[in-house]
Amino acid sequence: MPDVFLFSAVLLALMPNTQKSRQIMLIWAAFIGGLLWDLRWTNLPGLTAAINGASLAVACHVWQKIPAQARTVTLFAILAGGTHILSGIIHFSLWTIPSQAAVRQLTVQQLLAIPVLVVVSLLFWKVSDKHV
Amino acid sequence: MRIMDRELKPWLHGVVSVLLGFILLWTMTAFPVMNYRFLDIVNNVLYYPEKPFMQLRSLIKYSSNWVLERSSLQERVSQLELKNRIMSEALQKAGIIMPAPKDSTVAAQVTLRYPEAWWQEMRIDKGRRDGIAEGAAVMSEGFLIGRISRLGDNYAWVELITSSSFFIAAAVDETRDLGVINGDDHGNLKLLYIPEERKLKRGMSVSTSLMSELVPPGIPIGSIIGPEEPKEGFMPMKIQAGAHLTQLYAVEVFSAARVAK
Repeated sequence: MPDVFLFSAVLLALMPNTQKSRQIMLIWAAFIGGLLWDLRWTNLPGLTAAINGASLAVACHVWQKIPAQARTVTLFAILAGGTHILSGIIHFSLWTIPSQAAVRQLTVQQLLAIPVLVVVSLLFWKVSDKHV
Repeated sequence: MRIMDRELKPWLHGVVSVLLGFILLWTMTAFPVMNYRFLDIVNNVLYYPEKPFMQLRSLIKYSSNWVLERSSLQERVSQLELKNRIMSEALQKAGIIMPAPKDSTVAAQVTLRYPEAWWQEMRIDKGRRDGIAEGAAVMSEGFLIGRISRLGDNYAWVELITSSSFFIAAAVDETRDLGVINGDDHGNLKLLYIPEERKLKRGMSVSTSLMSELVPPGIPIGSIIGPEEPKEGFMPMKIQAGAHLTQLYAVEVFSAARVAK
């Protein structure tokens, strides 16, 4: 669920013709979503919220710095995948249960995100294709 | 989005969100009471929209575990049946009439187990409304796994036996030696206050001793693995929990109110 949420926020933020004001709103939406997730599942209120806000802001910043011609579906997939990996690694570093279980959890989490990333990238490709 | 004629940039909002996130994290860590208050509010709000999904998830988990658990449960049932028959025969010979057994437990599902408090506590979907009381024993597969520590109307928090703040009187079944079960927050269990000279062996079973009407005596806890370094005339014993503490999905809560019915 947090993967789908984060990927959706990245997709909406990086879609063609997305205004900065909309990106900012999405950063705060990702923050609030992360906070709810923390309060419900991680018991570290603010951590996922901060990760979501930061990773989406970084993705938006990089996206704006790239020339419009270079904003391809591959770059989108790299940025979206990067936000997910960053989130996973930060949670992994703060995991308190035995490291073997944490590594397994991180691996499973990253592998499960691949199909979601593929679907989101396809959606981006479809949307960006229409704007060409 | 503009403030005082300056256009705000997404990265700036990212920095603010990180700062705000860490302030929140610090505040919640510094004031655990506030943290619990917020957690319970959010959990109560999300309880109803989440319920159908939680039940679906339980159903899928049950279905996948059913085949694996079936053989071990069948074996356990056969062992218990044999034990029951022997005990019934012994009681019959002694002329003792046993009262009819009563339904004294409430079945509950585990709804929340935070990673950083994995060995300390978890949350279940039954509460005060279901007749659960604070301090009641919680079991899984017939073995003690903890006690109710906090209670809401439709939820309860369980302090696990592996928590370092968990202490419960226990007895070694074979020798009737009395001690106290305590966890270490890392999944290990110890039986404390066993005199050094006692010769307890690996495999001896440990169960609850008389505590209160909410923790009845005789609930199996686990078995002895071996001794630790003696301290001040006592030899702590390592205990292997009988329940699968890493895979807790459904539990039973002892209910004194139901016994009294």
